[in-house]
Amino acid sequence: MTTDQPRSLPLDGVRVLSQAIVWAGPFGSMILADLGAEVIEIESIRHMSPTRGSYRQMPPELMDGQTGAIYLNRDGSEGFWNRNSGFNFAKRGHQSVTVDLGSDDGRELFYGLIREADVFIENNAADVVDNLGISWEALSAINPRLIMVRFPGFGISGPYEHFKGFGATMESVIGHTMLRGYRDSDPSQTPAIYHGDPNAGAHVATAVQIALIARERTGEGQLIEMSQAEAVIHHTSYDLIDYQMNGRSNAHWGNRHPSMAPYGVFRCAGDDRWLALAVPSDEAFARLCDVMGQPELASDERFAGAAARYGHQDELEPIIEAWTGQHGDRDLMHRLQAAGIPAAEVVHQAEMFDDPHLLARDFFIEVDHPDAGVRRHPAPMARFERMPLTPVRGPAPTLGQHNEDVLMGILGISRERYEELERDQVIGTVYTEDADR
Amino acid sequence: MGPLEGIRILDLTQAIAGPYATKLLSDHGADVVKIEHPDRGDVSRRMGPFPDDVPHRDRSGMFLELNTSKRSVTLNLKTATGRDILGRLAQQADLVIESFRPGVIEGLGLGSGRLEELNPRAALVSVSNFGQFGPYRDFEVDDMLAYAMGGVLSITAEWGREPLKIATYAPFFLAGGVVAAFTLGALRGSQTSGAGERVDISLHDILATSMDRGGTNLAAYEYSGSLYFQRQESARSTALPMGVYPATDGYVHVICAPMWWDRFCNMIGRPDLIEDEHLAPNLLNVDYAPEIDAVFYPWLLERTKQEIMEAGQAQGLPVSAINTTADVANDPHLAARDFFHDIEMPGGGAVGLPGFPFRMHGTPGEMRPAPALGEHTVEVLTERLGYSKQDVAVLAQRGVV
Repeated sequence: MTTDQPRSLPLDGVRVLSQAIVWAGPFGSMILADLGAEVIEIESIRHMSPTRGSYRQMPPELMDGQTGAIYLNRDGSEGFWNRNSGFNFAKRGHQSVTVDLGSDDGRELFYGLIREADVFIENNAADVVDNLGISWEALSAINPRLIMVRFPGFGISGPYEHFKGFGATMESVIGHTMLRGYRDSDPSQTPAIYHGDPNAGAHVATAVQIALIARERTGEGQLIEMSQAEAVIHHTSYDLIDYQMNGRSNAHWGNRHPSMAPYGVFRCAGDDRWLALAVPSDEAFARLCDVMGQPELASDERFAGAAARYGHQDELEPIIEAWTGQHGDRDLMHRLQAAGIPAAEVVHQAEMFDDPHLLARDFFIEVDHPDAGVRRHPAPMARFERMPLTPVRGPAPTLGQHNEDVLMGILGISRERYEELERDQVIGTVYTEDADR
Repeated sequence: MGPLEGIRILDLTQAIAGPYATKLLSDHGADVVKIEHPDRGDVSRRMGPFPDDVPHRDRSGMFLELNTSKRSVTLNLKTATGRDILGRLAQQADLVIESFRPGVIEGLGLGSGRLEELNPRAALVSVSNFGQFGPYRDFEVDDMLAYAMGGVLSITAEWGREPLKIATYAPFFLAGGVVAAFTLGALRGSQTSGAGERVDISLHDILATSMDRGGTNLAAYEYSGSLYFQRQESARSTALPMGVYPATDGYVHVICAPMWWDRFCNMIGRPDLIEDEHLAPNLLNVDYAPEIDAVFYPWLLERTKQEIMEAGQAQGLPVSAINTTADVANDPHLAARDFFHDIEMPGGGAVGLPGFPFRMHGTPGEMRPAPALGEHTVEVLTERLGYSKQDVAVLAQRGVV
C-alpha cells in the first residue's frame, strides 16, 4: 500500500516539472519519481494529455476495442482520464497541476513554477516549446539553474527535426524493423515493438541525474537534447557495426543469432505455447541431446561443432521442434535449466500475476488510487537496501489534483486569485467540453 | 573531461547491460576502471562482429561499442593478491557495480558487510539476470530468454506464428539504460546519506516492467482484464491506413488516426476526399479499408520510401521509411547531426560507432576508444595503489594481472 510517511530517498529535494507524454515520457518520469524526485505533471484542461486519452468523449467503438483495454472496466464515462491504467501506473507519486500554457495567465504561472524548479522534461513535438513561449532561451533566462531535457522523436536539429514519430515510426527509420523480420516474410508481418519508448525514458532519467551532478560544480543548469531515434540506435549496434566493418546489411534475422545454434523459439504442446532456447556450446548441445533422448545427434556430422550446427539449422530446428511439441513449455524450461541449458518458457503476460519468481520478488505492488481503487502495478525496477523505493510515494494524480498545493503552496498565490483562475478556466479538474488533443 | 569528472567507478560488469550503463557514465567523464580476467577479458570481446570476420579480443564490435572511455585493468580474482588489489580499488571508489552470478561477489570479499568496512560511503550495485533472490535466480539465460520470461516476447508475433525476437542483444541494451538511471540514484543516495547503498537489479524485472509493452500491458490487464497490445491478425482497427505498405524500393510504415484523415488526403494529393460523403463518415469502420487502400496503393507505387516518408511527414503524418542497416549508416538526418562517432581500433583502422544517446549542451561528454585488454593495468595500479612498474611486472609473472 502507499504511504505518505516521510523518509529519505535518493532524489529528495529535486523538483521536476514534466510534460513527459506517451510512452517515452512516462517511463522516464516514473523512474525519477520512484527515486524520490518531486515530479509535477504540467497539464491543461483545454488540451487532453495523450497519456490520459485522445478524445474528449470516448467513442464506444474504441472502448469496445483495443483502446478500451487501457481503462478501468472499459468505462468511458466522464472522468475516464483519471482511470487510465498506463497513466496511473507510470505517473504514480506525481502531482498534477493544470495551467493552460496557451493563455498569458497560464504561462505566467508556469514561469513561476520554473523559478522554483530544478528540472523540466518535455517530449512535445519539436516546435511546441517555441510556440508556447517556453523555449530553453526563455526558461533559462528565468532560472539559470534549470536543467531542461527536450526529447522529441528525432532531436532538435536536422532534416527530420519536425517529423512525427511514434514507437513504430522510430524503429522503422533506425533499421530495427528490417532487422527483426521473419526469415520467410516481408516486413508486413513484423509487429511493432515500441522499444524506443522505454529506452528514451531511461535515458532521460539518466541525463537528468548527470546534469544534477554537473550543476553542483558549475552552479548552472543546461539544455539536454535527445533524439529518441538516436538513443535506440544503440540497440541495433551489432548489425550497424557489422555494416561498418564488413559492409553487410543484415535483415530478417528471424529468431536466429549471429553465431549460436540451435537458437530460437520452438513450439510446445498446447495452444500458443513456446520455448525459447539458446545453446551456447558443444557441451550444452550434448546435454540437450541427452535430455531429448537422442544422444546420437551430438556426434551427427551435421551438428558436431558450432560451425556445423550453424550451417545446418534448417535441418536441426525441425528435429528439436518435433520433441518440444510433445512437452509443456514450463516443464521443458525446468528440465533443461536443471541440465544447465539456457531455456525459457515464453511467458504470457496474463499469467505473470501468478509467476512464482515475480511473486517471490514482490514484483507487484498495490497502489490505492482515488478513482481506480487498489490496483497492482510493477514495483520500482531496483531494490535499494538503505533507501527502499517501495512503497511508492502515492498513486497517480487525478487531473489538476494538486492545483491548490502547487499554486497556493509553492507559488503562494492568494485564494482569491486561485478562484479567479478557476473561473477563467485557466485551471480546473475536469477537461473543458471542447478540450482537444 | 565531462560532467562526471572525478567520480570513481569500479566496474565488475561484463557482456551488455552493465557495460552499457557504465558507458553512459564513462562517456560523461566518470573514471570507470573495468576489471577483466587476464586471459579472457569481458565476454563481449568474443561477441564480434570483427573486421573481416577475424576474431580479435581488442577488435570486437560489441566490446568497442560498450566500453568507450573506460580503463581496463586485468586482475585474476582467483588469487588472494588479486582480491586484495580489488579491495583496495574498492576502497577508493564512489561506486562499485558488478554483474557476477549471485553470491560470487561475497566470495571476492566485497559482499555485504565487507565493503562497508573498506568503504562505508560506497554504493554497490548488483546487476543480474533474475536478481539476487527468487526461485529462478540461478537460471541460465541470454537477452532473448530474459525477454521471453519478461512476457513481452509472447505478443511480438504475427497472428498464428511463432514469437519474433528483437535485434540481437537489444533487450539488454534497454535494461542497461535503466540500470544507468538507478545506478546514478544509488550514487546520489549514498553520497547524501554517507551510509553507502546496496542495490539489487534484475534485468528480468526491468524487461517485465518496461513500457514497450511490459508494464503498460500488465497495467491494462489489471484494469480491464484485457491486454492492450495483443497479437493481431492485422494492425488495423479502423478504415485508415495502418502498418506496412510497399514503395518502389522497399517498404514504409504508416500510422493514420481517424482525426488525421485530412492529412492523409492531402498527402496523396486528394483533398477532394476530405469531405467525401461515402468515406468520411465511415473512417472507424474497418470494412471501408479496401476502398481507402485502392486509392492509396497507386500513389505509393510511384514513390520511393524516402519520398513517401517526406510527403507524409510534410502533412504531419507519422509515416516512416523501413530502412535497411545500409540506409541507416547513410541516413541524411543522422549525417546532418554528426551522430556516428569514428573511433580508432587497436591494431589499426577506424569504426563508426553510434554516438551519444543524449547531448548535454552545457557539459558535453567525450567518447574515447574502448581499451585493449589490460591496457591500463600499470597506469591504474601505479597511480592509485602506489605500485611501481616493477611491482606490476612481478604481479604479471605471478599471474595476478
